[in-house]
Amino acid sequence: MRFRKAKLFHLPLAILAATIIPAKAAECELKLGVVAVLSGPAAQWGIALRGSAELAAAEANAEGGLKVGADNCRISVVTVDSKYTAEGAAAAANNLVSQGIKIILGPIGSPELTGLKPIAVRNELLVVASSYAKNAIGPQWPLVFHGGPGPSGWADPIIKVAKQKFTIRSVVVVAPNDQGGTDIASVVVDAYSKNGIKAREEYYQRGTTNFAPLVTRILNAQPDAVDLASSPAGDAGIIVKQLRQAGFTGPIGRLGGPGTDEIARVAGGYDVLKNFYWYEPVLIDDKVRKIADDYRRLLNASPPENNLFFQWVAVARILTKAIARAGTIEDTKKIADALRALPVEDEALGKGLWIGQEFFGINQELSFPFGIGLILDGKVQALQRHDAATGK
Amino acid sequence: MDSLLAAVIIGVSLGGQYALLALGFTLIFGILGVVNFAHGGLYVLGGYVAQAAVSKLAIPYPVAVLAAALATGAVGYAFERFVLERRIDDHLATLMLTLGLYLMLSTGILVTFGAESVQFAFPVTGAIRGNGYYIPLENLIVLATCLLAIGAVYLLLFRTDFGRASRALADHRAVATAQGMRPHQLFPLAFALASGLAGLTGALVTPILSLAPHVGDPVLATSFLVVILGGLGSIGGATVAAFLVGLIEAFSGVYLGGSKGALALFIIVLVMLVVRPSGLLGRETRGA
Repeated sequence: MRFRKAKLFHLPLAILAATIIPAKAAECELKLGVVAVLSGPAAQWGIALRGSAELAAAEANAEGGLKVGADNCRISVVTVDSKYTAEGAAAAANNLVSQGIKIILGPIGSPELTGLKPIAVRNELLVVASSYAKNAIGPQWPLVFHGGPGPSGWADPIIKVAKQKFTIRSVVVVAPNDQGGTDIASVVVDAYSKNGIKAREEYYQRGTTNFAPLVTRILNAQPDAVDLASSPAGDAGIIVKQLRQAGFTGPIGRLGGPGTDEIARVAGGYDVLKNFYWYEPVLIDDKVRKIADDYRRLLNASPPENNLFFQWVAVARILTKAIARAGTIEDTKKIADALRALPVEDEALGKGLWIGQEFFGINQELSFPFGIGLILDGKVQALQRHDAATGK
Repeated sequence: MDSLLAAVIIGVSLGGQYALLALGFTLIFGILGVVNFAHGGLYVLGGYVAQAAVSKLAIPYPVAVLAAALATGAVGYAFERFVLERRIDDHLATLMLTLGLYLMLSTGILVTFGAESVQFAFPVTGAIRGNGYYIPLENLIVLATCLLAIGAVYLLLFRTDFGRASRALADHRAVATAQGMRPHQLFPLAFALASGLAGLTGALVTPILSLAPHVGDPVLATSFLVVILGGLGSIGGATVAAFLVGLIEAFSGVYLGGSKGALALFIIVLVMLVVRPSGLLGRETRGA
């Protein structure tokens, strides 16, 4: 009888415990916000960004959750389309804040980051973005980090390689006339000038479909080379095609990002590109291919096509590491401190650096080894591996 | 290169493409009184139909262009006959319906073909080069086709019963209907013609520029600009305005650059509309 009483006494405790324990586990959910362009011509970038966050979350969840202090936190990813506009990114950030989210991966575009930063400051959000804007990060935004360096980091070594391969004494840098174009083009022009190359800028209205007038203007300047900077791949392809049609035979660069395959498709093939050089954020090797395999295994879906995906996976992984080390999912200042203190290293991309002090005034820019792409006489060369950019 | 000659050649080439686009746009407004927001989407659809016909079915490019015009014409016919016709007198509803068609077309293309540009090259390459000028052969062929198509549209509108009936409906629908014109039969045909022109332009122009799901957005903006400058609903006005816009764009682009050139184009159009609000050849604003 006493035994029964004891059992009866323990029963409510057991029920209470059974209800409390799952409730506590459910409390520790880390909602990772993603502000990514998922519509329009830049959608591939946003899809890559979203995929990286989903993979990092799936990796942590597969091991029972991210260890944050005493808790194992399940990571869920909440993605909102930023539409590659400042107002779209601001609306996306406000949406995420309304869901109690404090940590955001993305956005990618300069106008987007410009629109998002005031909301980030107001709500003390930790943001890891990847814009090439001149003011992407800075001391006034201590919780904003840069996922990958812009041309201030890697333009100089690529120009040095291009100078070795081609005769370049003058260059015309072409880009759209908004912040996504002017910020990058002006940095690229500075990098060419530092290498003793006379550089000038030419801008066009985003949405231009026929670049024949601009091409005529470029040819009137008689440059040795043309650099397409951050012109979208579709635009860049048309410009290349029309430059070659007009008789331009010099090298063409694109110090603005990947997308060479698409440029070649639009231009009419690698033969049309002829002599071409560009920045490739990631070198694809077996370690990098494993990321794609992991994505297929954990998410049962095809990984995003764009190579930026691999770079973003490294960024998402280092971010989750920092959260674990900080021991909090709420205190973004603590997480930022932990992030700054982490060595830059990824199992697939290798050893990197924190840079940015010289250009942005704050050392919050992740820099991993990168690739330099070259096409010589229409033949695609193997990517040249370059150590992480130092930004100096 | 002689910039002046280059600008003239580029301007005329651009003008031919804009004229073909604007004709379809202004036809729909002139005859049906509908502002067709799906025009850019039909342009893109034409490009993808031709590209798929060439790359997947190995159909010769000229046949693929014809197929694109027919396919987009069929889409336009079905859309007007079964959707738009029900709300043809409700201007707000037609705006939303054509915008809806555009969103469906662009999203469908995005899902089917992906976000990136696809490979679609014009079958003829090379250029005629002279002292201080060059004319890409593909531009020349596209211009000639555009001019032929424009001529055919004029013949259709001014030398056939369909054209006369359509113009009568555009002038005064109630009177034309009282005299035996049948809007329920003619409106879908007019919409099909305009859609076919957009598809034809897409199939002709995207191989010399680029083909991606979003390339219809600027096409819609240019069509608007041209038909407003020419006078909404005026076929002659749209043709003249298209060549004018092409030349202004070419000259301002060559001499002022991509940014100031775009600004100059809009300032010139703005001044023209202040001086002549009904457009170059528009007689009066349609009671929309």
